[in-house]
Amino acid sequence: MVCVRKATMDDLLAMQACNLLCLPENYQMKYYFYHILSWPHLLYVAEDYNGRIVGYVLAKMEEESNECHGHITSLAVLRTHRKLGLATKLMKAAQTAMEQVFGAEYVSLHVRKSNRAAFNLYTETLGYKIHDVEAKYYADGEDAYDMRKQLKGKQSHHHGHHHHHHGGGCCSADARPVEAPPESKSEAKAST
Amino acid sequence: MGASLPPKEANLFKLIVKSYESKQYKKGLKAADAILKKFPDHGETLSMKGLTLNCMDRKSEAYDLVRLGLKNDLKSHVCWHVYGLLYRSDREYREAIKCYRNALRIDPDNIEILRDLSLLQAQMRDLTGFVETRQQLLSLKPNHRMNWIGFAVAHHLNSNCSKAVEILEAYEGTLEDDYPPDNERCEHGEMLLYKISLLEECSSLERALEELHKKESKIVDKLSLKEQEVSLLVKLGRLEEGAELYKALLSINPDNYRYCEGLQRCVGLYSENGLSSSDTDQLDALYKSLGQQYTWSSAVKRIPLDFLQGNKFREAADNYIRPLLTKGVPSLFSDLSPLYDHPGKADILEKLILELENSLRISGGYPGRSEKEPPSTLMWTLFLLAQHYDRRGQYDVALSKIDEAIKHTPTVIDLYSVKSRILKHAGDLAAAATLADEARCMDLADRYINSECVKRMLQADQVVLAEKTALLFTKDGDQHNNLHDMQCMWYELASGESYFRQGDLGRALKKFLAVEKHYADITEDQFDFHSYCLRKMTLRAYVEMLKFQDRLHSHAYFRKAAAGAIRCYIKLFDSPPKSTAEEDDEMSKLPSSQRKKMRQKQKKAEARAKKEAEVRNEESSASGVSKLGKRHVKPVDPDPNGEKLLQVEDPLLEATKYLKLLQKHSPDSLETHLLSFEVNMRKKKILLALQAVKQLLRLDAESADSHRCLVRFFHKVGTMTSPVTDAEKLVWSVLEAERPLISQLREKSLTEANMIFFEKHEDSLMHRAAVAEMLSVLEPNKKLEAVKLIEDSTNNPAPINGALGPVNEWKLKDCIAVHKLLVAVLNDPDAALRWKLRCAQYFPCSTYFEGKCSSAASNSVHAQIAKNPENGGASHSDGGEIADFVESNGKMEAFKDLNI
Repeated sequence: MVCVRKATMDDLLAMQACNLLCLPENYQMKYYFYHILSWPHLLYVAEDYNGRIVGYVLAKMEEESNECHGHITSLAVLRTHRKLGLATKLMKAAQTAMEQVFGAEYVSLHVRKSNRAAFNLYTETLGYKIHDVEAKYYADGEDAYDMRKQLKGKQSHHHGHHHHHHGGGCCSADARPVEAPPESKSEAKAST
Repeated sequence: MGASLPPKEANLFKLIVKSYESKQYKKGLKAADAILKKFPDHGETLSMKGLTLNCMDRKSEAYDLVRLGLKNDLKSHVCWHVYGLLYRSDREYREAIKCYRNALRIDPDNIEILRDLSLLQAQMRDLTGFVETRQQLLSLKPNHRMNWIGFAVAHHLNSNCSKAVEILEAYEGTLEDDYPPDNERCEHGEMLLYKISLLEECSSLERALEELHKKESKIVDKLSLKEQEVSLLVKLGRLEEGAELYKALLSINPDNYRYCEGLQRCVGLYSENGLSSSDTDQLDALYKSLGQQYTWSSAVKRIPLDFLQGNKFREAADNYIRPLLTKGVPSLFSDLSPLYDHPGKADILEKLILELENSLRISGGYPGRSEKEPPSTLMWTLFLLAQHYDRRGQYDVALSKIDEAIKHTPTVIDLYSVKSRILKHAGDLAAAATLADEARCMDLADRYINSECVKRMLQADQVVLAEKTALLFTKDGDQHNNLHDMQCMWYELASGESYFRQGDLGRALKKFLAVEKHYADITEDQFDFHSYCLRKMTLRAYVEMLKFQDRLHSHAYFRKAAAGAIRCYIKLFDSPPKSTAEEDDEMSKLPSSQRKKMRQKQKKAEARAKKEAEVRNEESSASGVSKLGKRHVKPVDPDPNGEKLLQVEDPLLEATKYLKLLQKHSPDSLETHLLSFEVNMRKKKILLALQAVKQLLRLDAESADSHRCLVRFFHKVGTMTSPVTDAEKLVWSVLEAERPLISQLREKSLTEANMIFFEKHEDSLMHRAAVAEMLSVLEPNKKLEAVKLIEDSTNNPAPINGALGPVNEWKLKDCIAVHKLLVAVLNDPDAALRWKLRCAQYFPCSTYFEGKCSSAASNSVHAQIAKNPENGGASHSDGGEIADFVESNGKMEAFKDLNI
């Protein structure tokens, strides 16, 4: 029914359009560029049989903190394409990449307190736990749950290639300030 | 830097530079003023002060100071560099490059300037220049990783892959054996993958594969590694290994269709144009086994429906559809819809679903099953059927199915969305908007149904209401701008199209140009990444991004915006806006009391707008100053309604700007050349118009629009006076040489060509309409004959074996276009009326034709819902002048009333 695959450059405009249709938290194109040019492994799309992008996950690595972890910037699936398990498939793909490529310890996300459907997906299907509550996180004054999921099985993430290393380096503390995108990098606020 | 200053001031100068880099502009400004107090003519300080002011949105002062600084110190590379940076900030890249070059003439080895220059060269795709600059940077600082990588990427972009590989290998040669350290593994792995992809690109496939295996342990991104490997294996013809690897990839992600396709290719069961029946059987078997392996995969269940035929298709479709109806998957129809283009499959699906419906009604379960289905299964089956009949154009059946579904379970929002879509297709845009609004109100927290509703409102030309509704989801400050700031292009396009239909060219242009601006911004977005990606080492993604940018303007949204803007300019040219004098003149015709009222109203509105603008300007400048001259202080739009856009001196010149982009980026779109034809005919650029005609014939000689342009063109040149000037004679000789080369016209008169086209396309309404229109152009006295050509058209049943009555061929959109032709071009109101009555029979829901079921007919069902006072916008029933751009896929309905 729907193809789940890594996002390419050509998907970005459609991802932005999908985001604007579904979610109240929106971003300029540059923020999508920033994601795909920093962590191309972490962006996934759901493409329907007509070639239309009907869902996406936009994710990043938090590079400044000392504990290497991933963060879900935004996840959306068109209302017309519910009940296919797309959100789950997209999330799992991104989580796997965080773990395998970057050796992430855990993954975090924010969700509106009122968004029961998303909350249930995160807790029941995907195993996230509430880590904290961020008061008035959203522009309209609503609180957010700060949720986390521990990523396990780090040792096995090399498909049998034994190699001593502790996750990728893109995550390690590199003090250089991130140059791009300098102006429009509004902090991520969305996840379903 | 800061040379010629005494130590104290030299330090202050360093402070200016530092403050600039750390964006502490106020501090920098202070330091600059301190120096200037003692040395008021110091060039470099003046320049830096200018650059600082530029960041505080004091543009004109900035330019004055920077220019003055340069004048005072022409020999300073700093002054030239600053001048370049200033131009760069205004996106004047060519000027900026000139300044950098001047700076480098004074200080050839200045690394900072070289780096800035290289960024601009990448941005402007001056690739040879980019290679040179990167080479210089590398030779100046060979111990920097970034310089090696930059040099390699430059060669790659300049189409020299093998050189790029050499450079990367030379770079690898500088590394220790145990490289990379843990914190560089990702970057290094990315570099290796980039190198391998370069080897693939220059067809060194064996070497690429060898390298891949050798460096496998150093590549962190195992998924990309596998995808790269399989691509190489397939290209090397090692298909068995390829197939195994595709299976491995499928076990990682069984929902990736591309892996399925790859596997099919590897086992020799892939073809664009269908497979033999034995191949089909093998493929069927392959997918059956994959289905057992990857039970979660939806791909392996759906793909066989594409290649199976007849009974096997029927059986597979049955198995596929049943569980999805039971589960209630709303996207089932959209998933099946590509099958409607396969001959015969839609008929099979129709019979199949009707059988399911029937069985569910009678026994409560599927045919041949004793288990009962939950009641929702019947509802989802009706939902599917409604969409099926909608697709078939049987709107009455579609509506009765969806109504039954709604009656069955009135709380399912999707049902209302689909009903709204059916009504839209059936031609009742107002009722469609009302239903979408009903759906929206059932879940106010869901932006998707809000967006859908806004779209329907715009289609029904209820722009104000649409905007109000859209704003419910933009909560940041200045609300409307939020949609614009967030580059919500679908909204701007739909709203521009609505304004265009309503004849509000100013607002329409405003919206179309806003979209155009987004694309300019997106092009600009790449700038920061030229250096960022070299550091991050995401080189494959970076090069992809550059290629994406190069074809950015071929994207559909841009095409629509550019076409919309061009249409506005053409209309503007054909009927220029009234000057104020003329308006006054018109007003004087009104009775004085009314005149007074209107004047008062105008004045009030102007005063209000002025006040609002002032307040907002104050607010924004206040907040702007407080944040250390932070940029993005949003000035208030001085022309919110696009009135100034209408004052443009030469609309066709503006149109040409956008036309050029279309010609460059969408040369294979019919619409591009139709617009080029219209613009150039108006500009009397005969040869360019001829070019457009030739392009149209190349793309689709049988299109009704191509035919129109061909005939109109040669008719027009036939009526021109004989050439006088040399230039005219030249044009003439080209035409004489070209005309015999056009096969449609060879040794034929235009009238003959028109009749030949008619005989070829007798059965098509739109072609007959084109022939009729051309007949009236060629022989104005034959208008009656032309009208007869149209009225003699027959609406034949479409060749489908529908179970529920025949479907006719004519499309609503086409019938509306023909009506407009009768009204505006053929000027035959009687025929138009007859046409309208006839079409009202075919399209009873159409408001345009005032069909008996439409909300335009006062006693219809939909009239009641659409009479909701909030929705009192214009429906499309108000006649011939409004062009129908809803489905503007290159058709020229819009120009029916715009004859040359």
